[in-house]
Amino acid sequence: MPIEITGGMLLQGVVSGLLAGGLYAMVALGMALIFGVMRVINVAHGTLLMLGAYATYWLFALYGMNPFLSLLISFPLLFVVGVILQRLFVYRVVDAPELSSLLLTFWISIFIANMAMVAWTADYRSVEFLTGSFLLGPIALSKPRLISFCFALGITYLAFLFLNKSKTGKAIRATSQHRELAQVCGINVRRIDLITFGLAAGLAGTGGSLVSVMFSVFPEMGQIYVFKSFLVIVLGGAGNYPGAFFGGLILGLVEGLASLYLSAQLSEVIAYILLVLILLVRPTGLLRGRS
Amino acid sequence: MKGLIGAVVLLILAALGLMPFFVTNYIVSFAIQIFMWIALAGSWNLISGFTGYVSFGHVAFFGTGAYTAAILISKAGWHWFPASLTGSVTAAALALIIGYPCLRLKGPYFAIAMLGLNEVVRALVSYFETFTGGGNGISLPPIASIQPVYYAMGGVALAVVLFTYLIITSRFGLRLLSIREDELAAEAMGVNTARLKLYAFLLSATFPGIVGGFFAWYSSHIEPIGTFPLLTTITMIIMCLFGGKGTVLGPVLGATLLSIFQEMVWARFLFIHQAIFGALIVAVVLLMPRGILGVLQQRYRLPRTI
Repeated sequence: MPIEITGGMLLQGVVSGLLAGGLYAMVALGMALIFGVMRVINVAHGTLLMLGAYATYWLFALYGMNPFLSLLISFPLLFVVGVILQRLFVYRVVDAPELSSLLLTFWISIFIANMAMVAWTADYRSVEFLTGSFLLGPIALSKPRLISFCFALGITYLAFLFLNKSKTGKAIRATSQHRELAQVCGINVRRIDLITFGLAAGLAGTGGSLVSVMFSVFPEMGQIYVFKSFLVIVLGGAGNYPGAFFGGLILGLVEGLASLYLSAQLSEVIAYILLVLILLVRPTGLLRGRS
Repeated sequence: MKGLIGAVVLLILAALGLMPFFVTNYIVSFAIQIFMWIALAGSWNLISGFTGYVSFGHVAFFGTGAYTAAILISKAGWHWFPASLTGSVTAAALALIIGYPCLRLKGPYFAIAMLGLNEVVRALVSYFETFTGGGNGISLPPIASIQPVYYAMGGVALAVVLFTYLIITSRFGLRLLSIREDELAAEAMGVNTARLKLYAFLLSATFPGIVGGFFAWYSSHIEPIGTFPLLTTITMIIMCLFGGKGTVLGPVLGATLLSIFQEMVWARFLFIHQAIFGALIVAVVLLMPRGILGVLQQRYRLPRTI
């Protein structure tokens, strides 16, 4: 690599990585909840994110709605979509062997993506709402990324508040710790499944809304987030929801540094090597989790 | 009875061997496609059908073979047949590197590690542009005759079926099945699970490698997105499940029936093709997890080794 990397560039890489990581954390938290409560790997998570992005795009394009305000619509909208998916299909593969849930959610994902393709074409669209950067000494903070990061952080915090303080949130955590025992304690686990999937879909949709102000919106846009989210779950430790948050930040950091020192194209490869290494050395996750 | 079955099998093989002389090129190319899917579904069966380890990125080996062969043909001027054989070697090498650590992972973690492998190989292929042509891919000279590919692909499909039969009738196969049923118990009985899983994984990666090489030669052009689609992995899984996983003829049955079905649906309903295929996925997953052959075996007490 001929270009010498200065301290400023390093700082820039770290900051950009962390900004991306906040978003990963929020999206992955949804996937972690589904995996924790139902043992289902939701391959359709990226597609739900795409739906959220389109919601924001259309609200912005048709009604000129502020993209950050549209979170108030994309979250409940995707919550409902999630509940419907759970009620119609996913409930059949709860606690089933992983192959069933993988195939079923894969089908949901191509089905929705195809619908999106038919309805909205494969064109790349963008929400041109905020551009430019804040300059802070040697580093430039892109405005949309910074604000999206703050929103992601705030919503993740709210989600944790819900999980820790509310009765339903506690029931969700109890179900993910031990399904049968939770049932014995009088928790309606089917209802918890519905709420969990709705909440997770809502988080994915919110993620999509936040992504739409930074990157292009198109039917396949969510695919990359599926593997990233799972990576975050592994980093944080399955069943360890606060771990998912730090996992997201770590993944963002690794990607930021990898694209600085090697190439943005190889950041995925580095992240994969990281995944395999972690799974081998600490199968319960970097941060302590349930095996 | 055994002699009769043997005679029928020989007759079918002879008919398939003579077929290209009597039918149109369309039929021959369709047969190549079916052979390819039999080989792929059968290979997936070797690791996932027998040991229960779900390889959710099996197309990575297919793509590795395809790129190895394409590079050797276009850059080094090799003949397509040895180039494809070398493709199987690189696919097996990849399986060795990845299988050694990843086969220790359990359940969903292995599946996701394999899914990630596919993304990673694609990213690497796009990155090393000087060899792979990056996103533009590699163009190969158009082929003069598809008959040689027919025999080559048919040979690989036959080899996969034979290997599956040899495995299912051997101690090796029984041990693999014991891993699927209860890995811990198998280990306690003295089965060297780590090594056996790796052997099965290597075998199941070798055939897609060579098939990938044939595919590259046959289609004259390969590029990253068309060579590593998750849909290919899903298709081989569904074909195997539809026919019956962990059986010898299940993948053959599934690949043949679904290929014919797809060809018919493709031709008539281009737009809802994926929706129909998706509905099939759901039906197989939810209603018939044992597959056609599994159900038949259970109902009519057929031997385990078909």
